[in-house]
Amino acid sequence: MSCEVKNKERVGVINPIFTCQPCGAQFASIGIKDTIGIVHGGQGCVMFVRLLFSQHFKESFELASSSVHEEGAVFGACRRVEEGVDVLLMRYPHVKVIPIISTCSTEIIGDDIDGVVIKLNEGLLKEKYAGREVHLIPIHTPSFVGSMVSGYDIAVRDFVKYFAKKDEPNGKINLFTGWVNPGDVTALKHLLSEMQIDATVLFEIESFDSPLMPDGNHVSHGSTTIEDLRGTANASGTIALNVYEGGKAAKFLEKEFQIPTVIGPTPIGIRNTDTFLQNLKTMTGKPIPESLVRERGLAIDALTDLTHLFFADKRVAIYGNPDLVIGLAEFCLDLEMKPVLLLLGDDNSAYKDDPRIKDLQEKVDYDMQIVTNADFWELENRIKNEGLELDLILGHSKGRFISIDYNIPMFRVGFPTYDRAGMYRHPIVGYAGAIWLAEQMANTLFTDMEYKKNKEWILNVW
Amino acid sequence: MTRKIAIYGKGGIGKSTTTQNTAGAMAHFHGKKIFIHGCDPKADSTRLILGGKPQDTLMDVLREEGAEKITIEKVVKTGYQDIRCVESGGPEPGVGCAGRGVITAIDLMEDLGAYTEDLDYLFFDVLGDVVCGGFAMPIRDGKAQEVYIVASGEMMAIYAANNICKGLVKYAKQSGVRLGGIICNSRKVDGEREFLEEFTSAIGTHMIHFVPRDNIVQKAEFNKKTVTEFEPDSDQAHEYSELGRKIIENTNFVIPKPLTMDQLEEMVVKYGLAD
Repeated sequence: MSCEVKNKERVGVINPIFTCQPCGAQFASIGIKDTIGIVHGGQGCVMFVRLLFSQHFKESFELASSSVHEEGAVFGACRRVEEGVDVLLMRYPHVKVIPIISTCSTEIIGDDIDGVVIKLNEGLLKEKYAGREVHLIPIHTPSFVGSMVSGYDIAVRDFVKYFAKKDEPNGKINLFTGWVNPGDVTALKHLLSEMQIDATVLFEIESFDSPLMPDGNHVSHGSTTIEDLRGTANASGTIALNVYEGGKAAKFLEKEFQIPTVIGPTPIGIRNTDTFLQNLKTMTGKPIPESLVRERGLAIDALTDLTHLFFADKRVAIYGNPDLVIGLAEFCLDLEMKPVLLLLGDDNSAYKDDPRIKDLQEKVDYDMQIVTNADFWELENRIKNEGLELDLILGHSKGRFISIDYNIPMFRVGFPTYDRAGMYRHPIVGYAGAIWLAEQMANTLFTDMEYKKNKEWILNVW
Repeated sequence: MTRKIAIYGKGGIGKSTTTQNTAGAMAHFHGKKIFIHGCDPKADSTRLILGGKPQDTLMDVLREEGAEKITIEKVVKTGYQDIRCVESGGPEPGVGCAGRGVITAIDLMEDLGAYTEDLDYLFFDVLGDVVCGGFAMPIRDGKAQEVYIVASGEMMAIYAANNICKGLVKYAKQSGVRLGGIICNSRKVDGEREFLEEFTSAIGTHMIHFVPRDNIVQKAEFNKKTVTEFEPDSDQAHEYSELGRKIIENTNFVIPKPLTMDQLEEMVVKYGLAD
């Protein structure tokens, strides 16, 4: 009976779980209104990331590339950023915020994007765009450091650091959601509004689910404003739901503006949502209303119908973003399931000291493995060659072939999910998220029972 | 406020020797608090201050233990006159990317808060030439504000100094970095002082000090000491003290106007054919 945390031992990666830092910075940047990021590197750093966003949300997002070529790598490519900024400002009169996101190649050749920003602020913006509000924000995200998770964390911090400005207290709280879906933001705002709490939600990405309107095609973007970001310095408190996605920004605000801060837990499942609501209550002094007690009751009722009968002892593998994986593992344990393998796709050395992981290690009464810097071969090899038996896989679409090849039912959760319809619309956080997750996991198991003729008759009498 | 200074110059010209001897003299004679950050992958910028003590470089610790495990205690060593030293280190010749090493090293030191507020002077001792973006890291925004180039009356040293000025011009506008002068580390070649004076005035700066050649520098080096520590009353120690004083009192900061190849050639011919 043990829960082991270890780093992948094998050299190299076979089918990565994550992509790299600039992806995270780009995800943060599309959440802000009137923003188009310039990714300073080869075109692929934008093209493949945009493709992931479009696949996941089935929408189109605007991101630019400085498109560095051989000549730029030799002679330095900052000039391309200068031209890129100029072109963006000419072509898009509404653009106000341009993050300049570095990549592996431009970090290696030592392109000074901070210097370029100073130069543009003193030159181009004064000469050609005098009177126009433009914010150029350098974001350093070399791809050979961290992963898309740390890239998101860094970018959110850099945006907040750039804009946050001390002023009169605004009586709001800051809520950093982490890397979530529109459905999650809707669910979180619902909880806040039931508690009558005024919050700045970072980022406002409900609009990533965009309508097709009579006046034509729509380009999606978030609706967080510059004012929202400025105001983060004047909040009465900060709650960051995820440690590794938004935690840096929360810590910055705490240190710089002495804002009371709570980081975590990701409100996945009943107990984590309970803690989140208690944190809101402590921070704002507002009571938890009867309506939420009732919602909690609905969720408990839904789970009770499923837990012991269908979930008990089901062996689950979970992979993806660390806060998501840990939150899902905790929820699975509450549902009497047995998460046996957790795969975290990067090598952040903080994971093994994470109190939530330490808690799992202390309390788990069966064999569980947590692998950091993991790839999909860590999962597939265990199934194919080491006799790992699984009843369910939880993770994003990049792992679908393992589910298909080894006939293991899989419920899609995380980013990117592109092989099931409309998943971004549904929450996995809050009581609503608990219901959605549990019922969809159950339905996934039910379909598998029928498909494999495995006690499917139970469903006749359920 | 800490004055941050980057020392550049042709390979082998004596940058590290001059930096350490000047730093030693500034600490001993002028009571300044000093930090030396060696940015050369050879990691030989601090041995005179540390008495030859081998120092774990930042890149060594990064490679063996990972970025999160680097602490100030592991990489910053204190030597003569409480001068604090760190070496960036870097890859073996012919592999990897030393320029990236400089960027990573300076970022790490800033993150760790190693350049403390109480310092009077922070020296970046940078490898040979500004060969790529990485070696310009010390003169980016918020880093070194003044640059001194070590040169001699030899033709190649002047070429290198001129080239470094070209790099400086690129960053001068966006980071505010300025050239504080050229330090002549004398090679005892003919017409050295005149050549350097003409060159420095042509590019719009001054020769801040003429450091004469003296065997005591080598002797001190064999003893793993700066001249000031080795023989504080020697003439050479006072030369370094003088250079230190001039740096402390310097107000002559310019954006240099590097020469064209033709102009340089012309000057070289003039002094090369002096006799």
